[in-house]
Amino acid sequence: SPTGDSWGIFTFLCAALCNLPALPALNCSEELGAGQSIQQTYDLTRYLEHQLRTLAGTYLNYLGPPFNEPDFNPPRLARAERVPSATVDLDLWRGLTDNARLTANYRAYSRLLCYLRVLDGQVGTSELRHRLAHFCASLQGLVLSIGGVMSSLGYPLPAGPAGPPVGPTEAPPAPNDFLKKMDDFWLLKELQTWLWRSAKDFNRLKKKVPPAVVTLRLEARGF
Amino acid sequence: NLFFFLASGGLVQSCGHIIPESPVLALGSNFTALCILNESCLDFGNIYASQIIWKIKNRVVPKEQYREINRTVSSVTFNDTSSLATPLTCNILADGQIEQNIYGITVTVGLPPEKPKNLSCIVHQVSKLTYHMTCTWNPGRHTFLDTQFRLKYRWPRESFPDCIPKDVNNSCTIPDVQFFVNLEIWVEAANALGKAESDPLVLDPIDIVKPLSPHNVTVNSGILPTVLKLSWENRISSAVMKLKFNIRYRIIGDTNWMEIPSEDTASPRTSFSVQGLQPFTEYVFSIRCMKEDGVGYWSDWSEEKTGITTEDKPSKGPPIWRIIDASHSPASWTVHLMWKAMKPSEANGVILQYELTVRDKSSLSSPMKKFNVTSTNLTLQLPNGTYEVTVAARNRVGASPPSVLLIPASNSKAPVKNLRTLPRYDKLWVGWTAPNSYVLKYVIEWCLVSSHSDCIIEWQIAQGDVQGIDLKGIQLVSIKPFKCYLITVYPLYADGQGSGQSVKAYLKQDRPSKGPTVQTKKVGKAEAVLTWNHLTVDEQNGFIRNYTILYKTIDGNETVVTVDPSKTEYTLSSLTSDTLYTVRMMASTDNGSRSGPDFTFTTQKFGKGEIEAIVVPVCLAFLLIVLLAVLFCFNKRDLIKKHIWPIVPDPSKSNIAQWSPQVPAKHNFSSKDQMYPEGSFTDVSVVEIEADDKKSFSEQDLKPFDLLKKEKSTSEGHSSGIGGSSCMSSPRQSVSDSDDGETAQNTSSTVQYSTVVLNGYRDQTPVQVFSRSESTQPLLDSEERSEDHAGGGDSTAQRQQYFKQNGGQDEINTDRPCFDRTKQITHASEGDLVGFVQLQISGQSSQPLGLGMEKNTQEAALSNVFQASTEGETVRPETVEENALSVDEMPKSYLPQTVRQGGYMPQ
Repeated sequence: SPTGDSWGIFTFLCAALCNLPALPALNCSEELGAGQSIQQTYDLTRYLEHQLRTLAGTYLNYLGPPFNEPDFNPPRLARAERVPSATVDLDLWRGLTDNARLTANYRAYSRLLCYLRVLDGQVGTSELRHRLAHFCASLQGLVLSIGGVMSSLGYPLPAGPAGPPVGPTEAPPAPNDFLKKMDDFWLLKELQTWLWRSAKDFNRLKKKVPPAVVTLRLEARGF
Repeated sequence: NLFFFLASGGLVQSCGHIIPESPVLALGSNFTALCILNESCLDFGNIYASQIIWKIKNRVVPKEQYREINRTVSSVTFNDTSSLATPLTCNILADGQIEQNIYGITVTVGLPPEKPKNLSCIVHQVSKLTYHMTCTWNPGRHTFLDTQFRLKYRWPRESFPDCIPKDVNNSCTIPDVQFFVNLEIWVEAANALGKAESDPLVLDPIDIVKPLSPHNVTVNSGILPTVLKLSWENRISSAVMKLKFNIRYRIIGDTNWMEIPSEDTASPRTSFSVQGLQPFTEYVFSIRCMKEDGVGYWSDWSEEKTGITTEDKPSKGPPIWRIIDASHSPASWTVHLMWKAMKPSEANGVILQYELTVRDKSSLSSPMKKFNVTSTNLTLQLPNGTYEVTVAARNRVGASPPSVLLIPASNSKAPVKNLRTLPRYDKLWVGWTAPNSYVLKYVIEWCLVSSHSDCIIEWQIAQGDVQGIDLKGIQLVSIKPFKCYLITVYPLYADGQGSGQSVKAYLKQDRPSKGPTVQTKKVGKAEAVLTWNHLTVDEQNGFIRNYTILYKTIDGNETVVTVDPSKTEYTLSSLTSDTLYTVRMMASTDNGSRSGPDFTFTTQKFGKGEIEAIVVPVCLAFLLIVLLAVLFCFNKRDLIKKHIWPIVPDPSKSNIAQWSPQVPAKHNFSSKDQMYPEGSFTDVSVVEIEADDKKSFSEQDLKPFDLLKKEKSTSEGHSSGIGGSSCMSSPRQSVSDSDDGETAQNTSSTVQYSTVVLNGYRDQTPVQVFSRSESTQPLLDSEERSEDHAGGGDSTAQRQQYFKQNGGQDEINTDRPCFDRTKQITHASEGDLVGFVQLQISGQSSQPLGLGMEKNTQEAALSNVFQASTEGETVRPETVEENALSVDEMPKSYLPQTVRQGGYMPQ
């Protein structure tokens, strides 16, 4: 109701006024931290997408045909299932809580990072290796960033393979070179899908958690 | 170092050591060291801790700082480590006074590192995908120790390897940067004395990026002549950051950049259309970028690219003016129309031609004349009248609006008033008071006034609402300092034109390049009229304000007179007479003066008419005296005649004269040629005595001093002429000549007037020349005297000498009167003497010959003409020789010796 709204605004403003001296020190930094880290995570996701676009092209070329053909769409093999798949129904995905999505993202990128590091060690050309290393580092930043967002929103960090990756011990070596290449192909493909979806997630989350300090400052100016 | 040998083991072992070993100490802290002696040495060397001496380098540490802890341990304490140096040694005084070293340590003193301050980082984009992050900091004070700096950075749960600076201690570059994750960065400084960390910097590296500038900038001309389209490529992906831009541009050749408002380019883009440009103008563009939100750094400006806007119609007509020459005939004009090429900003393209129309306004029926020209002037022959001239410029796009110039039949309208100029900075400002009626435009004409060239008119148009304009723009090429400009302003009205008002002006004045050259026109006793020419216009360098005349005597003070610049003449007065004056002239402008050359003149001794005033009376007085003297003489002529020309008996008429067929001397005189029948003595100078001398008196005693004075002078004048020719012979020679030529004494003595003694030229035979005296004096005297010569000649000579010394007049008294007629005669036989220009006595050896010859001839011609008084005259030749240079000195130069020796020779 309008009266309730105005009451709400009034109480909010009163609270804001009372907290005004403490604003920059405490409240803001918390709120700002969440908003900013979501924005930052979103930017990083976009940046990774951009990086992966060029990296994947280069890497698939490195793998050679048929992987570098644009309409190459191999069936997903059973052994590729260990790579976390983003092929969850979009509606279902949207139906999840923020926490669940963030946790899923966090877990997925942690796993993807492990495989990517294996990939990194195998690449022949130094240029590609360099770019892969950079991508890995960025991806690790993303994992940390998601962790940061979760903690800033007050969600617990998921247990499990957080932080430093477990290593390639988990993945059995590919029986032949083609299958290995197939693994690499799927890894890049999944990464692309994950990044695309994460960007959407963070964009939505960004809208949900507005940069609080800006609002507060506007209010303060309104007085 | 001295070591004690352990007898037992034979090993070399130090007798003690210092604790701590090689310490690193903080500057200013206190420090204690212990020297511990080995027990074994105590027994062996009989040494104890009390004997320990601490030394820094070679300097003994004062005993107050020691402390004996026990028998084997001594400590030393320093309150301030800054007094320490390496090495610190522990010594012992063994065996009396011999100092032995036990142990030494190295002491290093330094400072712990300061906390690094001012840490800042920047991410440079190196290539499209590569970014380097460089952090710099202030390392703090010098620590004197090896201090390691490490740039540390980490993510919240992820650390990275430290960045270790190379060669420097205040910056480090991280080669791989991850964006969009906050990075904590700090610097750690560490050395032996400690470790310090800077405040951490937490940032997202994306916020400190300095991107690469946009590249591949291209400029394309758009459809409009005022628009250029810029395109470029960004080298940073929009996934990394969105960009905003700055675009700057300038007209080529200009140095000032204009910038497009930054809000117009605040969003990501790769092209931009720049508007509001001038048509047909080449522009230079440059662009830079930075993160859209303004966080970070601007990139460098991109490379410059140029582009040209397209042409447009000229925006206005060219300014036009005319010069009318009506000198040919009164009824028609030669009209020089001239207009200015337009500025590029007005021409808006390449002007292809100018289109002129000339319309006679006085007759409506006359058709309008049209001219298309490419130059910027046109000369027309027009009948007198009122004309309207229009000019329009045309380029490829179109024609400009026309400029209109009205040429009235006469400049009858009101002129401008109070025309004045003022140099302003490096421009000449021309100002005036506007006439009362409305003025459309003003035309300012100006030209450089020079004596070398004609006044070439330049002009400029000013709008009617101004009352003074800077002659700027053109000023740089045409208005020069130190030059005289004639500036004329014409007001142009809608229906006519005012007459021009002129003024002369200088942009800047200097002192004249030379001063006026002053000369005297007339110099008097106390005044001088100076005259000079004006300096030429080129020499003036400014308005001559005045002339200054500076004049002075050689040692006197300078007098300064200031003269009006219009004058070219000035009279200096009150000068001192007969004085050398130096005068110079200075021309002065407002900015200094310069002097011309010095001119000197001497004032006259006498004023005008003063000489006449003195000379005329003196001459008159002299004439009067002469007249009186003549009158006196005339009156007393009988008395004078009695004294001067006594009646002398004529020997020719005497009975004695009958013995000789010779003609009397007078005869010789009258027939000179007969004496030298051969006529070959053309070069012999002849002395003639005036007619007055003919009346010579024979009596020696009849010589009134004053009356004869005049005569003497005349005869002396003649003798000088002879003397001059014989001046070559030296007095000595003459003397010896006299000595040797005793035989010639007679002959020489017969010569009354002068004996010319000449040197023979080289080996030519010298000849003595005598002027001959034809005396009418009685021979008896001379005979008597000549006889006396043998015995008492000396005394006679002495007497005569006395005469001469007393006064020249005396001598003359004795001599001159005796010459009735004197001639210079060569006494050598005529044949021998042919060809001698000057007859000389060359030397003693040759003299006898000459004398002998002389004697012969003389005896033949003048055997009887010997005169007692002529004895003295033998000195004459020598006298002449000595005083050949000066007639006046002749009498004084009689030498007694000469007289004694040569003047008196017994025959």
